[in-house]
Amino acid sequence: MEEPRIGVYVCWCGTNIEKVVDVAEVAKAMEKLPNVVLSKNYKYMCSDPGQDLIIKDIKENNLNRIVVSACSPRIHELTFRKTLEKAGLNPYLLQMANIREHVSWVHDDKKAATDKAKSLVAAAVTRVNHHEELQKRTVDINPATLIIGGGIAGLTAALEIADAGKKVFLLEKTNHLGGVVAGIDQSFPYFDSAQQIIQQFIKRIKQHENVEVLLNTKAENITGYVGNFKMPLPMLGIDAELEFGNIIVATGLKPYDPSAIREYGYGYLPNVITSLEFEKMLMSGKIETKDGKTPEDILIIHCVGSRNKNCHEYCSRTCCMTALKFATQLRSALPKANIYQAYADMRSFGKDCEELYLKASQKDIMFLMYDQQKYLPEIRRAPNREKCEMLVEIEEILSGDMVEVPADLVILMTAMEAHEDVKDVARTVGVSLCGNDFFIERHPKLDPVATTTDGVFIAGTCQAPKDIPDSVAQAKAAAARVLSSIDVGQVEIEVTTAFTNEDLCCGCQTCISVCPYKAIGFNEENRVSVVNEILCKGCGTCSSACPTGAIRTRHFTDKQIMSQIEGMLSMTKRKSKKTELEV
Amino acid sequence: MNNRVNPGFKKELQKFGMSEQWNECFHCGNCTAICPLSENEVLFPRKGIRVIQMGLKDKLASYVEPWMCYYCGECSETCPRDANPGELMMTLRRYLTSVYDWTGMSRKFYTSKWWELSYILFFALLVIVLFLIYLPLRPDAYLMVNESGGVMLNHLVAGISGDQFIRIIEFGDWAMAIIVAFILVSNILNMFYKIILSNKSFKVPFYAYFTEFWRLIYNFVTQSKFSKCDDKNYWVGHMLLMTGYTTMFILVVVALPAFQTEKVVDWYNWQRLLGYYATFGILFFLTVVTIGRIRKKDIKLQYSHSTDWLFIIMLGLTTITGIVLHIFRLAGLPAATYYMYILHLAILVPMIMVEVPFSKWSHLAYRPFAIYFSRLKQVALSKQYSTGLAPAI
Repeated sequence: MEEPRIGVYVCWCGTNIEKVVDVAEVAKAMEKLPNVVLSKNYKYMCSDPGQDLIIKDIKENNLNRIVVSACSPRIHELTFRKTLEKAGLNPYLLQMANIREHVSWVHDDKKAATDKAKSLVAAAVTRVNHHEELQKRTVDINPATLIIGGGIAGLTAALEIADAGKKVFLLEKTNHLGGVVAGIDQSFPYFDSAQQIIQQFIKRIKQHENVEVLLNTKAENITGYVGNFKMPLPMLGIDAELEFGNIIVATGLKPYDPSAIREYGYGYLPNVITSLEFEKMLMSGKIETKDGKTPEDILIIHCVGSRNKNCHEYCSRTCCMTALKFATQLRSALPKANIYQAYADMRSFGKDCEELYLKASQKDIMFLMYDQQKYLPEIRRAPNREKCEMLVEIEEILSGDMVEVPADLVILMTAMEAHEDVKDVARTVGVSLCGNDFFIERHPKLDPVATTTDGVFIAGTCQAPKDIPDSVAQAKAAAARVLSSIDVGQVEIEVTTAFTNEDLCCGCQTCISVCPYKAIGFNEENRVSVVNEILCKGCGTCSSACPTGAIRTRHFTDKQIMSQIEGMLSMTKRKSKKTELEV
Repeated sequence: MNNRVNPGFKKELQKFGMSEQWNECFHCGNCTAICPLSENEVLFPRKGIRVIQMGLKDKLASYVEPWMCYYCGECSETCPRDANPGELMMTLRRYLTSVYDWTGMSRKFYTSKWWELSYILFFALLVIVLFLIYLPLRPDAYLMVNESGGVMLNHLVAGISGDQFIRIIEFGDWAMAIIVAFILVSNILNMFYKIILSNKSFKVPFYAYFTEFWRLIYNFVTQSKFSKCDDKNYWVGHMLLMTGYTTMFILVVVALPAFQTEKVVDWYNWQRLLGYYATFGILFFLTVVTIGRIRKKDIKLQYSHSTDWLFIIMLGLTTITGIVLHIFRLAGLPAATYYMYILHLAILVPMIMVEVPFSKWSHLAYRPFAIYFSRLKQVALSKQYSTGLAPAI
């Protein structure tokens, strides 16, 4: 291997770094380190002139290693790797030192900050000596897509992809398509029929030549990696399996079961029903109590199972608008009925939803505010002498009074929650769940439909509670991501993966048990572990667990890490010797 | 106390003139914050609006705060939703007047113009008929002019002396005062029951009834709460009306023999001076309010209930007939004087009979008593505070 010739570049980041760190001094200190050919500081390394400076130096001084000491590698590592590529160097011969987030933004003592910056840059310099050239690799994408869940999100994504001429396998664990939307009468805020929307979707999906619907089928035993997933279908024969390149998870929601809330007496009081049960009532066209009477007093209770630490702390995002929709529908169906809403906060956000609230509030509906953290409304059966079926005690917080509401029918606006089997799905497709058992997106703002597993996307209420437009938008976004990856046809895979030195492997399989990505298999014949480098994310867990050092991670070898630590300590060592002398 | 919400209750209040915007309120509390009279333990008008919105009838009956409001209109001007809290307080005062009135007449008068007009007409006719039958004009009435040219008012009736005439009128005065006072006092007791006794969440210590009593008298005389409203001119105007009317009331009920004298006394005598002051006071404020209610620029005078107009008309006519009567008397026109006198009483009597016990004028008693009751409540609550009990709101 040729002798390392290192160029060090200390960035000012305008005044971001420069005002706390003495950049010139840092650059000067690096000149003394072994193999450093030149060390410079510049106002904006990431700017075009900054990058051109690196390219020029590489060419003129025959540099073969570069250290950029600037911001976080999360922001600009890719930028500078491209710079190296442009100059004809392997992009992995770069090391960044983060002296902005780790130094200038968090310290104000200029002297100490400069010292710390020196240590960090020195660490990068000693490490980059041991960098190896790594080659990028790609795999082909299978143009078929697996969609898990036949609700509005799954159907939308399926149609989007199928219409683009690509094959879709649509998995639905129940015996019918449509999900929750199939059980809704009208949608808010425009009161258009949800049935019309969903039934049209189902009809098109069933007739679509590119869609294969698999009812009563769960997603199980999916193997493979982005571009090349497989799932066996044991019920169709031993060898039957699906092959697909991408997965969209759209498993949807489960309505909260309010019988857990003692105060509401759901399941015990016959005329306390959930919002979805009321939707059914609306679809049947008959609003009546269990005895078949027309209700005179109807109470709608918000936040059932939402926004309470005993149930779910999150807001389910659709119940307020649905409740306003109910009130409006009730008012037109029963012009003389008394309609009450017990709400905690009215959250009618979204296009035309505040307007829905305004219109509903002009329809002679009594709004009563309760504190969903402290006192939930308490429903009890009314004594026989009363005309109404039930009496509800509410601590009304706008007045501070305990009030009693008569009710013949109580509608509980139940929360959205994750399905019980969502953990199985998560394990099958390799996606993490948040504390509320919703799937976690790769980035909440910048990458909301992708997951940390390449080729697996999420859409709809399995990601978080949301309404129909949001689910559809997310499904279309996921479909767009899938289509673009199919269009490219190939996907670049991680280079910094683990690999095994089979001569050193003792076959203990420790690495297999710790790997979070199921990327390591075992070769029974040779009794050694084998890394599937397509599944491997290069997290390094196996390398650190391996007792013999047989398994290593590219770009994070022991040598690279140890030299980095040495480099970091080299600066402080000198200083501590000095202090010893002074003492 | 029944705390059942009642969506139909708004219809009841709408009969008392509740404005269309009653449900606009979203409880920001700006009205309570801006109100110069709302203070820590007596918070209004927001809380009252909430009670209206929920239709808590019993709670409303025990709600004393509307009487603390003198309707300066600042709340309505500040309201971001144009819910008109000031007018809602006004509506509540009308409603509460009917709640306190156990006879049920007040409710009839507030909710039906025909009831009120018939009642007024009945008393007007009663007065006219009684006078014409039992106190007819003597045939030689034209002689009853004294040497200075003034009409001898007490000597215009056939068959009775001047003293007898005064005594008959005085009897009528007192009879009317006693009937009115009886109804008003019983209504105040009813109010006391609703505000203090029926509310089990506090108990007024016995001594407080005496230690707080001065507030009743003080506020009746000074209307000091009213003066805390930002528009001081309005308080001055109302004070003119109130002192004017009280003066007149004392002159015609308590001091009738000294006021309705045999001879027309000289202008600088106290009877005539007080009479002129009273006439001016009433007429001045009445004119201001009438113009205000017609122009509708001032927020507190924008909304006029039929009873507001009726009150203005009755009081205006009483005053005008009184003035005309006085002019006829000075001009020495005995017959005209006497018929004007009957007309004057035919307006005055029904006005007193309807307004004081059952309608707008009852506030002369309810307001100071409300302040008294509210103080009793505060004393009771603060005592409970110190013994560790939470106050009822």
